[in-house]
Amino acid sequence: MDQLELEKLGIPTVTITTTEFASLARDTAFGQGAEPSFVVVPHPMGMISLAEIRKKAESVFPEILKAATDWQPVVKPTLLAKPAYPAEKLKLKGTVENINAIFLSRGLSLGIPIIPPTPELVGEMLKGTSRRPEEVVGRVPPRMGVLTIELVATHAVMAGCKPSYMPLLISALEALLDPIANWRGITTTTATSAAMVIVNGPIVKEIGLASGQGAAGKMHHANASIGYAINLALGIVGGSKPPTPDKSTLGGPADFVCWIFGENEDKLPAGWKPFHVDRGFKESDSVVTVMGIYPPVDNIDHWSITPEEHVNWWGHLVTPLLSIGGPCWITQMEQPHIIGLGAEHAQLVAGAGWTKDQFRKALWEKARIPFSAWPKGCPNTDLFLKKFGKVTPDTLVPFTFKPQDLHVIIAGGYGKHSHFFAPFPGCFPVSRMVQK
Amino acid sequence: MQLLGFTKGLVIAVILAGLLGGPIDILAEEKIQDWELINPEGVVKIEIMKLNPHPSRLEGKTIMLRSNGKHNGDKFLIRVGELLKDKVKDIKIIYSWEVAPETVDPITGSHERSKKFAQKLASFKPDLVIASQAD
Repeated sequence: MDQLELEKLGIPTVTITTTEFASLARDTAFGQGAEPSFVVVPHPMGMISLAEIRKKAESVFPEILKAATDWQPVVKPTLLAKPAYPAEKLKLKGTVENINAIFLSRGLSLGIPIIPPTPELVGEMLKGTSRRPEEVVGRVPPRMGVLTIELVATHAVMAGCKPSYMPLLISALEALLDPIANWRGITTTTATSAAMVIVNGPIVKEIGLASGQGAAGKMHHANASIGYAINLALGIVGGSKPPTPDKSTLGGPADFVCWIFGENEDKLPAGWKPFHVDRGFKESDSVVTVMGIYPPVDNIDHWSITPEEHVNWWGHLVTPLLSIGGPCWITQMEQPHIIGLGAEHAQLVAGAGWTKDQFRKALWEKARIPFSAWPKGCPNTDLFLKKFGKVTPDTLVPFTFKPQDLHVIIAGGYGKHSHFFAPFPGCFPVSRMVQK
Repeated sequence: MQLLGFTKGLVIAVILAGLLGGPIDILAEEKIQDWELINPEGVVKIEIMKLNPHPSRLEGKTIMLRSNGKHNGDKFLIRVGELLKDKVKDIKIIYSWEVAPETVDPITGSHERSKKFAQKLASFKPDLVIASQAD
């Protein structure tokens, strides 16, 4: 919340929020140690007429005036109930089924079965890492719960991981808790956003992470259990539950098991480098890259026989998604987008002698919509014009300012399918070496 | 032959179990246990942030109205600005989206960006910021 940064600079604030989002706003502020001044307006404020929104302003104006002049801060001590390590033990009685019911009712699981995390099982899981159990991986928003290595192992047990998955799981969680990954946004938004985890290097084969046919789908133990453990650890320690502070309009299966797969390095066309090498790592490094994404779009192309035809189809396929950027949401144009080329589509493109750079530049030039497509009231219009230059209604606008922001990976096995992963606003990819 | 004998034995055992014990219910075999489990929730550590006192009067003050860019946030604040000017003498109103369009972003994303936005807005030296989250 930007107002809290203003408060840190000595400027008092009043925040206007709606009834539907008041608790999220309060929780977000509280997670950062603040209980600032709020004025709550009946929901919604967006998508109503000018007359209606002006009327809403008039109806709460006395409260705004009161908050501006009467409200005063209350000083409270630092909140830290107990030490983060060792974690509290729960004494419970019942069957495995009962334990699952208790965990769900207390907000300690996500709603699909867990393995009860006994100290013995957690101890075994900790053997998979050289990290000490008391080490802190990070504080997880919005609750700002302290995630220790011991708790990572606890969630790994609950999700059915093997100890050998721990190094990858820890690195993925560290990456997701980097502020530029924007976990707070991913987990509290109304959008159907989720974490995506792409893995490169020797670790993929070492732990049996799927990277080929159906890699992000079912029947792959490492993918399924690590993807589940990531969401358990962040969801439970971070306390993001619907209907608030998780404000998902619909949500989706990636709220249970996040997107996780290895890049299909075996199917990299000759001369194309793996994703982690593009990002500055050595080929022999094991690297995890995370990013907050919207649900992917499947590019079904059974018909193209030249890269030009394929790129042309790509361009038309992804243009509807451009509406989330441009003058309406300019940060989207500065964020990396991920193109997950299926092995066959990659072969089609590279077989004609195209490099990754040629492919991304051709796609960037093709995937555009006219400036007139965006609604007139887009909030970033002035800034967009300043950055993009002069436009007419017919000017074709790309989805990023530069083609280098289209990251290309080889995703999946045979089949005429590729995938487009648009970033959730404010999310940037974060890569971490997997340390054993 | 050995396999056939084993299969035959298994069939007889199942029939006997059915006759003697009623329907086979695997779930019913799970016993109630005492569990000691690790609480996966973890603790919360929150450093309390010091907030700033509000002015007792707005006369002569500079008030910034800040919209994050979500639909109608600016229109709401424009009406608030009009009302403030009507009710309060010598008040100065600054609309953030006019003076700092780069701070219009519905999801700031990171603390770093948030900090950058705040520094930009603070450079106009407002006595109070009234911000609309909209939605």
